[in-house]
Amino acid sequence: MDLRLAGVSHTYGETEVLRDINLDIPSGQIVCIVGPSGCGKSTLLRMLGGLEQPTSGQVLQLGTPPAGCLNPLTYVFQDFALLPWRSVRGNVALVLEDHGLDAAARAQIIDDVLARTKLTEFADALPKQLSGGMKQRVAIARALAVNPAVMLMDEPLSALDSQTRELLMDDLISLWTRQPFTAVYVTHNLAEAVRLGHRIVVLSRRPGQIREVVELTTPLAERAYGDAALEAQQQHLWGLMREEAAAADAELIHV
Amino acid sequence: MSDAAHTNSRPVAFRGGGFAPKQRRGMGVLVFVLLILLAEWGTRSGFISNLTLPRPSDVAMTFVELWQSGMLFKHLAPSLSRLAVGATLGALVGVGVGVMIGLFSYVRAGLVPLVAALFPIPKIALLPLFVIWFGIDEGSKYALIAFGTFTPTVVATYAAVDNVDRGLIRMGQSFGLSWWSIVRKIVLPGAMPGILSGLRISLAIAIILLVAAEMLGAEYGIGAYILEAGSLYDLERLFAGVVILSVLGVCVSAVIAAIETRVLRWRV
Repeated sequence: MDLRLAGVSHTYGETEVLRDINLDIPSGQIVCIVGPSGCGKSTLLRMLGGLEQPTSGQVLQLGTPPAGCLNPLTYVFQDFALLPWRSVRGNVALVLEDHGLDAAARAQIIDDVLARTKLTEFADALPKQLSGGMKQRVAIARALAVNPAVMLMDEPLSALDSQTRELLMDDLISLWTRQPFTAVYVTHNLAEAVRLGHRIVVLSRRPGQIREVVELTTPLAERAYGDAALEAQQQHLWGLMREEAAAADAELIHV
Repeated sequence: MSDAAHTNSRPVAFRGGGFAPKQRRGMGVLVFVLLILLAEWGTRSGFISNLTLPRPSDVAMTFVELWQSGMLFKHLAPSLSRLAVGATLGALVGVGVGVMIGLFSYVRAGLVPLVAALFPIPKIALLPLFVIWFGIDEGSKYALIAFGTFTPTVVATYAAVDNVDRGLIRMGQSFGLSWWSIVRKIVLPGAMPGILSGLRISLAIAIILLVAAEMLGAEYGIGAYILEAGSLYDLERLFAGVVILSVLGVCVSAVIAAIETRVLRWRV
């Protein structure tokens, strides 16, 4: 199942946030959206999952989600959004409870995703006992449990320290390598974008427009920390974004 | 720069202490015991006249008499059942209405002004009205306690529902959870801390109203017992009654604390 943004524009009252965005999200790929702060990249992601409606334009779902897909468009949030009163297992179970699965089927899915995210031994822990990185792994496990057609990831690593971020990037890459998934990955961190993205969409400052779409052909598994070719790509992206970011920064001061 | 170069070295003074409440066991009991001992000593030595304060040991004797004569339970049983029925009714309806106000804009727009209008009414002033509506017997007492518990519970509950993390609700929606699932699994547990701390206040108000209702018309009950003692100027019995009320308040508070530690184990 693919997703398509067709001529999407959005305004909040007087402020124009997004202008005429046309973009295809092909299945099996990770599309990264980068841009300076306030360029509307999170708004775009909320539209993709139906949590917000664009002022004009359309968000289209092309084709039908594959069989066994419980929630085609599934988010991973920056702040994890775990229920603090439920254990790791309970948090994953939450999203399976409304689908009429019997207890054995649910338990099997939960065990499987916890194993894939290396959380099996923490199944009964409460979120308050977990580190930030572990919490985000639970959120990723929860997203995998509903077998999504597209994962919508809103700065999933931004609340984590840089070491944890590296570890989780490795985890995401190995998850994708074992079983490719479709994802839209919003970030302001260019290093994450060049590590995880098959395509990188660069947005301009507000109102957000697509400035450039960069295709990266190196397979995810071969992209290592500190790779020279990736470094060059990152430099290129930074070249595109630098002025925009500076202008966006100055804009906030003038307001 | 070696140590020797600085002959006047001294440790940096610590100034980061205090402002962090710690649990100190036994202090509460100690304060009670000291106050009672002071009263006992004062009344025995004549420093405090018997007209101003009864002797604690006499109050204790009165209490033992009350126990042995079986009158304690004759007064306590109706009081406890009134409190249980009235407070349960008020708290249940209050939580229900509070959740509705929190969830539905129309209910909020319609009921918040009404609750604001009802809140400041001294409920005891309505007792004559309740007697006509619900009868002179238990009905009017239940209604008074329920009504008094209802308003603070409603306010605490809808504030608690408002404070549930919107991010969690968005998460529920994004996973396609049904409306009822979101309410049951996200909104209600998320509002639980606020609802419980509201119940602490509501139940204390319920005890106050219980006594008020019993003073205005009851044969048995702690309130009736205190009123009778007061009109006879029997300070020992008056204080015995007051002590029972205090103990009741402490018990209710302890029950809620126990529920909190059980239900809110997840809190950081």
